[in-house]
Amino acid sequence: MQLLGALVLAVLGTIAHPRRLRFTSIVHHLEKVGWRAVPIIVLSTFMIGAILAQQGIFRFRTFGADMYVVDMVAVLVLREIGVLIVCVMMAGRSGSAYTAEIGSMKMREEIDALRTMGLDPVEVLVLPRVIALVLAVPMLTFLGSMAALYGAGLVCWLYGGMAPQIFIERLREAIWLPTFEVGMIKAPFMALTIGLVACTEGFEVDGSAASLGLKTTASVVKSIFLVIALDGLFALFFAGIGM
Amino acid sequence: MTNNPPVISVRDLVVGFGEATVLNRASIDVFEGEILGFVGGSGAGKSVLMRAIIGLLPKRHGTVEVFGSDLAALNGRQRRAIEQRWGVLFQQGALFSSLTALQNVQFPMREYLRLSPRLMDEIALAKLEMVGLRADVRGKYPAELSGGMIKRVALARALALDPDIVFLDEPTSGLDPIGAAEFDELIRTLQQTLGLSVFMVTHDLDSLHAVCDRIAVLSEGRVIATGPIEATLASEHPWLRSYFGGKRGRQVQPAARTTRH
Repeated sequence: MQLLGALVLAVLGTIAHPRRLRFTSIVHHLEKVGWRAVPIIVLSTFMIGAILAQQGIFRFRTFGADMYVVDMVAVLVLREIGVLIVCVMMAGRSGSAYTAEIGSMKMREEIDALRTMGLDPVEVLVLPRVIALVLAVPMLTFLGSMAALYGAGLVCWLYGGMAPQIFIERLREAIWLPTFEVGMIKAPFMALTIGLVACTEGFEVDGSAASLGLKTTASVVKSIFLVIALDGLFALFFAGIGM
Repeated sequence: MTNNPPVISVRDLVVGFGEATVLNRASIDVFEGEILGFVGGSGAGKSVLMRAIIGLLPKRHGTVEVFGSDLAALNGRQRRAIEQRWGVLFQQGALFSSLTALQNVQFPMREYLRLSPRLMDEIALAKLEMVGLRADVRGKYPAELSGGMIKRVALARALALDPDIVFLDEPTSGLDPIGAAEFDELIRTLQQTLGLSVFMVTHDLDSLHAVCDRIAVLSEGRVIATGPIEATLASEHPWLRSYFGGKRGRQVQPAARTTRH
């Protein structure tokens, strides 16, 4: 929470002096947490989509409701599963990396060295990382959702015997734009949560290597829990506004 | 030497963590152009005092004046101006592990000065040479450097903005005796050629004899003695007697006398 305040100050500071924004650093982190995460995200969401579709077909067939598998998968993936899977993967992949990076910098007094040079560690280390994550997660969510739908379509076709044209047509009827928007709106907020938790834990590392391990674990567990809790709040919110 | 004005003046500094009070009304002066060796037992709070002066630890009471201005009374801009006039060498070097040796030395320049990349390369190489490193370390990352080289690169980074004061936190710890002696000599040479004021935290008795103009002794949260090393050696304080009069302390003294006379 304290870091959120410091981050807001850093954001205001860089808005006042745009030259202080570390563009190179943002691009570097964007490549690390965004671009390089694409294969694993696409693969895992593809599989999740395929599994959901297979399970759906298997159960729904007993009462002859094969067609509704598409509804189930599409709504689940676009509203919830897509963004959640991406966030869980990012908490494990990038959140832990952030905590470990900042934590080891703290251990080796690199953070202190930055401070003595008159630089704000939040502006130098946290801001570029959080910006990169906030940009990367929505993009990965989009890719992940598409991959999951692709996986579901493939299973419907090969396992359920549903022609791709029918799948797509059913998809058109099952979802409307807000279904997709609900997932995408959540993505940046969840990214912010992961980034803040990861960096906060990183700063809490003290001198020992054991605390680095503990804090990295805490970072992953806390951010996954908070992402799920946030998802619950969003569910209430979207229900309230009727989306 | 003591006629010079103090560049750092600490009065009645109190620093603590939770219940524990580490520094209890410690006062110390560092005068312009001297090397002050700051000694004390492990855990006595030597590093704490240094970190409180450079603003890494909050103080509970007391004043820290650097270049005659009270650090607590400065605004952000004035404070940054002072921060550019000091360089800090941390105990483990604290080089940025994601940057090469050359980039580490350039880092402060990149933040504060507008220089062309070529000029920055030249200055940074000159700084590396100044601390006795060959140009081929420029592209190496801290993980590829030995402990002594890391300290030298870190010293070059501390000197990057041509500071007036240099803080050294146990510069010779972790170095072998030969490396430590070379490092002491380096500090002495740089201090004389660049006219630096040096605040050196150390427990290395050899360093104290070899390079320090004055020493200050920290015990039980206070500075119990300051002065030239000979005067401090003659002190009757029990902690000092056991520190300098111990087996390791006695081994150093005769050697120091012979080199001095």
